[in-house]
Amino acid sequence: MWVKLAFKLFSREFRRGELTIIFSAIALAVLTVFSLSSITERISLNIAQKSSDFIAGDRRLSSNHAFDQQVLTQAKQFGLKTAKMLYFDSMLFANDELVLGSVKATTATYPLRGKVTIKDNLTGLDYEVDSGPKAGNVWLSEGLFYTLNVKVGDTVELGAGNFQVSKVLVKEPDAPFFSLSGNKRVLLSYADIPTTQAVQAGSRVFHRLLFAGNEQQLSDYYGWLKPQLKSNQTWEGIKDRQSPLGNNLDRAERFLLLAGLFGIMLAAVAMAVSAKRYCERQYDPVAMMKTLGGSRKVIRNIFLLHLSLVTSFSIVAGLLIGFILQTLGADYLATFMGTALPQAGIRPWLLSSLIGLVCAMMFSLKPLLDLFDIPPLRVLRRNLGDTLAVSRIHLALSFMTIFVLMWIFSGEIVTTLILFASTLLVIGVLFVISRLLFSAGRKLGLRPGSSWSLAIATLQKRANANAIQLISFALAIKLMLFLVVLKNDIITDWQMQVPQGAPNMFIINISEQEVEPIKQFFTDNNIVHEAFYPVFSGRVDAVNGEEFARRVSKQEGEEKDEDAREGVSREPNLTWLEDLPEGNEITAGQWFTDAGTGGDDIEVSVFEGWQEVLGLELGDTITLLVNEQPIDAKVTSFRKVDWGTLKPNFVMILSPNMAGKVPVTYFSAAKLEDQHTKDISQLLQRHPTISMIDIKSQIEQAQSIIAQVSLAIGFVLSIVLVSGALVLISQVQASLAERMQEVVILRTLGAKSRLIKLATLYEFMLLGAIAGLVAAIVSDIALLVIQQQLFDIAGRLHPYIWLLGPVSGALFVSSIGYFMVANTMRQNTQGLLRKLG
Amino acid sequence: MSVLSQLNVIQVSSLTKRVSTLEGSLTILSDINFSVKSGESVAIVGASGSGKSTLLSLLAGLDVASEGDVHLDGEALSTLDEEARARVRAQKIGFVFQSFMLVQSLTALENVMLPAELAGDHDAKDQAIELLDKVGLSHRLEHYPSQLSGGEQQRVAIARAFIGSPKILFADEPSANLDSKNGHLIETLLFDLNKQNGTTLVLVTHDEQLAKKCQRIIHIEGGQLEKISEGAAANVG
Repeated sequence: MWVKLAFKLFSREFRRGELTIIFSAIALAVLTVFSLSSITERISLNIAQKSSDFIAGDRRLSSNHAFDQQVLTQAKQFGLKTAKMLYFDSMLFANDELVLGSVKATTATYPLRGKVTIKDNLTGLDYEVDSGPKAGNVWLSEGLFYTLNVKVGDTVELGAGNFQVSKVLVKEPDAPFFSLSGNKRVLLSYADIPTTQAVQAGSRVFHRLLFAGNEQQLSDYYGWLKPQLKSNQTWEGIKDRQSPLGNNLDRAERFLLLAGLFGIMLAAVAMAVSAKRYCERQYDPVAMMKTLGGSRKVIRNIFLLHLSLVTSFSIVAGLLIGFILQTLGADYLATFMGTALPQAGIRPWLLSSLIGLVCAMMFSLKPLLDLFDIPPLRVLRRNLGDTLAVSRIHLALSFMTIFVLMWIFSGEIVTTLILFASTLLVIGVLFVISRLLFSAGRKLGLRPGSSWSLAIATLQKRANANAIQLISFALAIKLMLFLVVLKNDIITDWQMQVPQGAPNMFIINISEQEVEPIKQFFTDNNIVHEAFYPVFSGRVDAVNGEEFARRVSKQEGEEKDEDAREGVSREPNLTWLEDLPEGNEITAGQWFTDAGTGGDDIEVSVFEGWQEVLGLELGDTITLLVNEQPIDAKVTSFRKVDWGTLKPNFVMILSPNMAGKVPVTYFSAAKLEDQHTKDISQLLQRHPTISMIDIKSQIEQAQSIIAQVSLAIGFVLSIVLVSGALVLISQVQASLAERMQEVVILRTLGAKSRLIKLATLYEFMLLGAIAGLVAAIVSDIALLVIQQQLFDIAGRLHPYIWLLGPVSGALFVSSIGYFMVANTMRQNTQGLLRKLG
Repeated sequence: MSVLSQLNVIQVSSLTKRVSTLEGSLTILSDINFSVKSGESVAIVGASGSGKSTLLSLLAGLDVASEGDVHLDGEALSTLDEEARARVRAQKIGFVFQSFMLVQSLTALENVMLPAELAGDHDAKDQAIELLDKVGLSHRLEHYPSQLSGGEQQRVAIARAFIGSPKILFADEPSANLDSKNGHLIETLLFDLNKQNGTTLVLVTHDEQLAKKCQRIIHIEGGQLEKISEGAAANVG
């Protein structure tokens, strides 16, 4: 039976190292995909969990009407944890002071994600707790302690009830980034709502339900909920929020996806090269077997069994190494993040095994078919079946396979197409360049016998093989350069969002009379601050005289609609400004004209996200209801707003001639240092009606997430770099085996080791430098496109990689080549001859 | 089938081989006719490029003729596909090549057993050991080709050629890659085993001295059969 022979041949081939490269390539593909996808999944899960803290749950449902009981009952049936919240404004009274507070009443399960930060007294230390106050107690934000002149333990009147002030409320996980609701926040137990009697029929309240559970439960529940969502109800998750965090998470995920795709491409290149090489090395044994009477069927069975065995072993090895690698990586990341990463599911196991299998089958198919077709006559004509050029079918199959693998991994056809098409273009350009370079080299008249002339002669002689090698070198270098540069750009961009010296405190509710004294106070105390913006609320009531019918999308994931819906259904904060704010860009129309700034007609510049939802066009007239007073404004421009900056942004900016038409308060931002704490207490005591919103913790939170994601990206990048290095090594190794014969001939003819070593060094140096240069140019062009299309970062060129590419390429490739040739040189000529035999 | 053709284990008639080149069709062998009797030893001689290796490839069914036919033990090779020709080789032919052509990942013993194993015969170990003993390599059974000298590798190839007791043995320049001492040893071994087994031997060589050891010598020149002469062994047994 052929099986026994097949196993015998397999074990020998394995031991001789003939299968090592093909084994390594499949294992590399599997371990790359496994470690990348599981690390990515674990980090994504962790980030999602952390991000969920920002809404205190995984999803939330909001409305200004009470929810049906069934909404909650059903959520519990789907296995979700829930919490109820109610927002309303109510008067607080203590020590003869009366103030309007923003009350949030929560059930005991709040927050479902994240913690509430409190202090035992104003001078105490912050600490975190898992729930809100117990019935009968309230927690007040610091500002209220000053305005009401109370301390912990005192009693305040809230609506019709009396409550004991038990803690200082420092931060709730779901406190909004840019809420102008003030720092007069009150946290109350949901059970105490009736006691306050503040919520009556017709009261202005806001209901919110929080949900937490796994993605499947949440998706199942949403499936049930979706058909019955009402137009006044909003369902959202962390990604639906237009916040710096949401944008950063999106970018991080895109980067990780891109890195994974590149990892697959690199592993695929290694696999394609090694499968072809392995099959070519089997040409002689197969020709011999056929000559000795082996049937095609038996030979086919033997090699298919070999492929199955090596595939199985390498997949298992890849999974094992990948598992160890990702465990080490996750542990390492966990120590930095100070939190254990959640375990990944079964997807990385299945995905990486599938990719290993597809890799093995598709890249081996054509080389194996060629192998089965090797004529027995090769035993007499040794070069029969040798083809320097790669067959078109093999190329087509390889490209198709890479495309399918990328698609399977990403699940995104557009990203896959962009990357695939650009890679094809790179290959085409490289092939032409390499042929031109190698043929141009012929004209260089170099002294015979020198290492350089030998190097160039070798390059020319292998023009085709070199072109292929150059392409794979360049691809590997390109992918590595690309990711390194992209990583730096993304992180720089993130860091720019939270620059040193950015304001960390918002000051709101400043009356017109208070503007000058507060400005003076800031100057006296050396506090850096921003401009004072006039702020007022208004509701879009009509467009061109027609009352605006609110259109609400119920689709989850339609981000623009989701964001806009929230915006449309609430009263946005409006301002008037003379100059276009930083981070804004006019996309249509023009910024306020002289008529707008001086005339009677009021103009408005609208955030482009609202343009679609409201169905606005330039020249339309919007009617805004400000304190029930209608104000008509003509739309003269649409703006792109960079929500990624930690700066105040406005969906509508009116022309400066609005001044004096509506009552306003002012808003500013300042950068406060620790030494200003006392001054700020003074300021609050002097101006008790102003509110300060401390966004220091939000900035710190954003910075911590950025740091975490940067670390994750760095880790993933290092895996891809290792894959890239392995591809380069396997390429050099593959070509070196082919060079052995020449080395033997040159040695036999008396060439000195030094000449051969230097020739190889120069040859690889040239190859590496050309590959590196082309890789750098192509990476930079691809980066321009990718940064703008996928990452929304302003594209720019990176001249330093134009030098880094060729230098690192030449150094890396030549040092591996030199090391390997030097190793070969240590064997005597007879030993080398035997090996070739 | 005539009595004559039954005696002739190889019957070559009007054998022609042409190949296509960039310059057009090139005739490598033209209208070759001869026959070889069972148990006979025949040398095919000629200068380099005369077409002798092509003739060997056609005789052994490794390649197909453009015109004419080769009858191998009564089977017309031109009527057989590659699989059927492989089966004929497995049943009736043994090979010895100039470059030994051993499978590097198999030991000497396993290389000798390979043809039998490919034919599905797994009880060939005893025969393989016996053959390796006959070629003087009983102490090298578990050695890999890279651990053997050129002469030893060719002795393994000879042992492999005789396993399964083939009717015909084709040898292509069997001693060309060896020094004269080892070359002579191999030649002696080949002829001795051939005689012992009653095998028909077809030997391709450019070495006139080696050719003379055969009963008949077929001279090929420029792709044509120039003459057939008798060798020194013509009257022996």
